[in-house]
Amino acid sequence: MSVGHVQRAIESIGIPTVGVYVRSFGHIPGLMGVARAAITKHPMGRPLGAPGDGERQRSVVLAALVLLEQREQTIIELPDPWRPKAGGSRA
Amino acid sequence: MDVEPETIEQLRQSFAYGSRSNLNFKFLKGLSDDDFGAFLGELLSAVAGATDDGDVNRVIDAAYRWQLESYSAHLGDPADFPHRHDDIPLATLDKPLSECTIGLLTSSGHFVDGDDPRPFDVDEMTQTDAEARIAEFLSAAPSLSAIPVDTPASSLKVRHGGYPVASVAADHQVALPLEHMKSLVDEKVIGELAPTAYSFVGATSQVRLRKQNAPEWAEQLRDDGVDAVLLVPV
Repeated sequence: MSVGHVQRAIESIGIPTVGVYVRSFGHIPGLMGVARAAITKHPMGRPLGAPGDGERQRSVVLAALVLLEQREQTIIELPDPWRPKAGGSRA
Repeated sequence: MDVEPETIEQLRQSFAYGSRSNLNFKFLKGLSDDDFGAFLGELLSAVAGATDDGDVNRVIDAAYRWQLESYSAHLGDPADFPHRHDDIPLATLDKPLSECTIGLLTSSGHFVDGDDPRPFDVDEMTQTDAEARIAEFLSAAPSLSAIPVDTPASSLKVRHGGYPVASVAADHQVALPLEHMKSLVDEKVIGELAPTAYSFVGATSQVRLRKQNAPEWAEQLRDDGVDAVLLVPV
């Protein structure tokens, strides 16, 4: 919820925003009335991807950023399931 | 001395800030005892399957499914959602994304080494301490940490009592994608990355955040000259 408040406040002063929400919190963008959101099928604590999975992290960032050009409320769910790569960077 | 046997409810709750605290599984607190049994059954079946074929995705999927189930059950009636808004503040870009300066803000609890926000005036609070004081965090105002975007990863710290930080600590770009944003600048997908990124501990007083901090932070981002903002809740 915290970021929902911040997202609304930024948008309210005329600056477009997009948030990346994990699916456990995927209800928040709609209920809080945020302008743009990309919802990932990622577990809590890994919003952009698994540690070491730069490819997934980057693709989520890009998918979110392009939503900034939307001129009406846009909430999308990214389809990719959580599939971390063996040997990620977590110690 | 007789010791009272632990109940299933106590067992579930012990994973959320209790004797077995593991924030990856704090969602177990939100399951019914029956669902907890179903979760365990599914998890064990997945482990047995993975034992035969080595496919651990089925274990991950089982845990994830019940995480979603717990948060969904916890949500209850959307009409009762405490921070529901029916209006949608909406701004629009007035130039192409490739010409925009993008700000970055996350609720990850990042800060730069040497610039600790020192919650409750504590020096070098540990992650364990932050988890132990989660109730205090939830009733206090948040603090915004400024992170120059050229900060080396080795100088980034993360501390947040509300979620399992190990994944973010192992790779900061899990929540604070500074290098990915820079590569998107190089590829001219976005114009610039604003010189300062921001992070705060999202486990905080929602009322104070909404009324006081969020509007101030929005003004700060405007002063920074951003054209748009990417937010990463954790």
